[in-house]
Amino acid sequence: MRRVEAIAALIAERGDALTVTTEQAIGAWRAAVTEPANDIPDHLDIVGCMGSASTIALGLALARPERRVIIVDGDGSLLMQLGSLVTIAGAAPPNLFHFVLENGVYETSGSQPLPAEGRFDLTGMARAAGYAHTAEFDDARTFASALPELLQRHGPVFVSVRTEPEDGYLVRSSAGTKLDQQMHALRKRLVGEGG
Amino acid sequence: MVQAEPVALPVSAEAIVHELDELDVTDVVNVPDTHQRSLLAALARQSRIRLLTACTEDEAIAINAGLWMGGRRPVLSIQHVGLLAAMNNVKALCMDARIPTCMLVGYFGRDVTRSARDNASRAVRLIEPTLDTWGVAYFPLEGPEDLAAIGRAYRHSVEHSGAAVVLVGAPTS
Repeated sequence: MRRVEAIAALIAERGDALTVTTEQAIGAWRAAVTEPANDIPDHLDIVGCMGSASTIALGLALARPERRVIIVDGDGSLLMQLGSLVTIAGAAPPNLFHFVLENGVYETSGSQPLPAEGRFDLTGMARAAGYAHTAEFDDARTFASALPELLQRHGPVFVSVRTEPEDGYLVRSSAGTKLDQQMHALRKRLVGEGG
Repeated sequence: MVQAEPVALPVSAEAIVHELDELDVTDVVNVPDTHQRSLLAALARQSRIRLLTACTEDEAIAINAGLWMGGRRPVLSIQHVGLLAAMNNVKALCMDARIPTCMLVGYFGRDVTRSARDNASRAVRLIEPTLDTWGVAYFPLEGPEDLAAIGRAYRHSVEHSGAAVVLVGAPTS
């Protein structure tokens, strides 16, 4: 499926979830919403610390158990901190939903193939790490129709979403990300002015 | 032969937990550190402060950021070589994103009869110069009389919106 199709389905089913994107998902998410970059409510774009988006989401999920937290990760990004699968499974937040857009390449740096591309199995790794539920999709319609039920499950949930590489997209679309502004604004929304 | 006197003395784990309680710390995110094992054991015996274990120090710094955004008051417990391994996340999350991050950092392998900067261990003696280079504030905990360093570091991390390191000089008791 195309990345924009996966993101559109997630936005449609987001509800009041806190959302976190990184790498290839950043531009697609921004293109699909009306709010300006850096000002999307209850949303973070994670840049500058590749591999850390899912554990930032873990912290949010543990701090706000009343909110669902959706993280849209990349395969290359997850591989940077693969142990985070075990850390997340160990903390076992029931409200964390970990989506990984798998396009098989490091798109940011020129679409070089991931090591062992086509041979490793992230969904199997997440299952073996101890996620409460795992699933994988390569068809946009099937993914969109399964999403409501997935987001009602007891987490942590891991979902592999196989997407097509779209060369050079991220480099243009994640420019201007102000992580400090986004993070401090999110805390203010969650905790209040005096927090 | 005369034994060299230690310049860094153990601080009791219970005293550190008490300090963390006084600061209303809600979570300790750790990557297990031999130096602080009695502290980790003490934290595991109580339920007021949640003890979370991460696989890497990068993860611990990221979890800290998420917890802070959600309104918690976390502190990290890690080893000094783990801090070196996680410097990119210190840069991205503590410095660029200005997330308060208070870290208890154990000097595993330190010769406690010498100051950290005079240690034979390269990693031990390079910690303070590394933190100086990066402009990260640090607060030595060289013995029980330094317990207030924990509060000073925590408040520094909040007031300056960034990293502050408590350098745990000797194994906790």
